[in-house]
Amino acid sequence: MTEINYQDLAWPVRDEVTTAQRHAWERLGQPGTWLTGAERITIAAEARNAAGCKLCQDRKAALSPGSVSGAHDHLGALSELEVEQIHRIFTDPGRLTRAWYQDLLDGGVEEERYVEAVGVIVTVVTLDTFNKGLGMAPWPLPVAQAGEPSRIRPAAAKRQMAWVSTLAPKDVFGTVDEDLYGGATEAAHIVQALSLVPPEKQSFFGLVDQQYMLGTQMYDFENEIRAISHAQIELVAGRVSAINQCVY
Amino acid sequence: MTAADSGGRDGGIANGTLLLRFADAVLGEDLAELAAAREAIAAEMGGAALADTAGVASLFNAIDRVADATGIPMEEQKAAVTADFRATIGVDNFAAAGEKGGGTGAE
Repeated sequence: MTEINYQDLAWPVRDEVTTAQRHAWERLGQPGTWLTGAERITIAAEARNAAGCKLCQDRKAALSPGSVSGAHDHLGALSELEVEQIHRIFTDPGRLTRAWYQDLLDGGVEEERYVEAVGVIVTVVTLDTFNKGLGMAPWPLPVAQAGEPSRIRPAAAKRQMAWVSTLAPKDVFGTVDEDLYGGATEAAHIVQALSLVPPEKQSFFGLVDQQYMLGTQMYDFENEIRAISHAQIELVAGRVSAINQCVY
Repeated sequence: MTAADSGGRDGGIANGTLLLRFADAVLGEDLAELAAAREAIAAEMGGAALADTAGVASLFNAIDRVADATGIPMEEQKAAVTADFRATIGVDNFAAAGEKGGGTGAE
């Protein structure tokens, strides 16, 4: 198995970043909450494949993605709806709509599997973009591990502020997910976004904490904690989000 | 300068031009330009700054997808206090602004 390692790189990657990336990457091949390890790896591979999809390229170039019909170029291992989910999130996230999401559900996609797949996709996006930025080839995907998903849905998860069901900070106390928000009674919407599948939230925010910063560090302008300043971090973050047309 | 067009400026931030060039390049297709942007940051700001810049850019390329794929709205308070400059820099013109620009998002 390939282990993520940046020691031979000309530029120093912090050990905390490497550790968080190793954890997230190894999880890709392990049984999740709603997906098997094999399904998670299949989704990861399809996400990478989306970059070369002709339909996605045509839709991206169109004034409205819905105006272009056709079939995705895909690896053949997933349903059309799953491919549609993965490709659109990968190639044109800024123009996703509630109606598009609802169409997936109406077609049979389960929201728990949808949210877990989002966690898989964004893990691939994070590490592949990081390697691209540093001039490295993408890491090979891990080997799928045997085992069954746990299929545990947080009892208090419900539709409340997002398209998907989420678990509010006030509802985790006294449950197995009590540590999901570190004891906080409130959390930004982005922190709650993947909470329907708590292990996905925890894994992705392990990357957030190390590649961006902890929530407690965001407004601590007296102390710079990275090799670039708070202002420089936000400039890069804002620019990337603008290119992605992300309103949030 | 708008959110979608830096206009070659630096955003008033030290080495902003270099950082914006890298952000544009890492999301683009021109690998020669990305290599040049990478080398420019390493030369001017150092290797650790380059690694942290790549970390932030890659993380936000992903977290944008978390936000957009789950349909989380901007928090009402955040939407209220940022309304003026979101309009000024053009964020309100983004395709999803009408769906996710603020509010609880509840059905």
